[in-house]
Amino acid sequence: MALSKIDVANMLTGVAPLANGGTGATSFTAGITEADQWRVTSTFTGDANPVASNWERNDFNFDKIGTGMSESSGIFTFPSTGIWEIKYGGVSQIGGNAQNRWNDWKIEATTNNSSYNLIGATGNSGALSNTANSQYSSAQSSVIFDVTNVSTHKVRFTIDVNDGSTSQMGASTYQYHGATFIRLGDT
Amino acid sequence: MPENNDRPKHIEDALCQMHSNQWFTWTDSKNKIYANLRLSAKVGIDGEIVDNPITELPTESAVNAKLVELQNAWDAANGG
Repeated sequence: MALSKIDVANMLTGVAPLANGGTGATSFTAGITEADQWRVTSTFTGDANPVASNWERNDFNFDKIGTGMSESSGIFTFPSTGIWEIKYGGVSQIGGNAQNRWNDWKIEATTNNSSYNLIGATGNSGALSNTANSQYSSAQSSVIFDVTNVSTHKVRFTIDVNDGSTSQMGASTYQYHGATFIRLGDT
Repeated sequence: MPENNDRPKHIEDALCQMHSNQWFTWTDSKNKIYANLRLSAKVGIDGEIVDNPITELPTESAVNAKLVELQNAWDAANGG
């Protein structure tokens, strides 16, 4: 029998795609259904526990996929349940002659819309700068979070610094200090 | 914000040295001029979101003076 005569539907358990003579209705699951990116628009010095203000959605040649995250005073709410990847990071400026040994960049989550737990962390430092010039260093953390209830499962971000003169760099025209949210699949 | 070198050149460089944490914000973050400077309503301290303890904006002249101070310090430290 010629291959063109084989009914591909007989070899599938699901619905055959249109190109193979099927209805195409449910042949493939959807790809990424939610992706969003936010950033902190201004530089600040010292701790921010949590990073509560100056958040904006990326607005340069960007479009979110799906509904997107919502943010209020640094608390991020998910638009739908699912398995989510959260990335958070940025760049620190350690002033000249500063003795900064560490900066902690933290992702914190709540599952009861109240108490937050550390779920991801990374750090950077100024390597005990002993020059007059500032030093820059970057950090990024990534974590996967199972959001089973959008009313109770939320995230926020925290900066703790060893030396209070350390600045976390912010910008409103490019991604310098910020977070990325991607829904990987169903919970 | 420092770019090609870290010599302070913008009022935001001065603002973030006047107080710690996210005490200030902008009405237009794409146009960071003094006229658009505001106090943040809330800041994060010790895991809580609380009212901004900074309750008064510095004057424009105070901000500019801080920027000049930072620039002079940078220049002195870099052979200027």
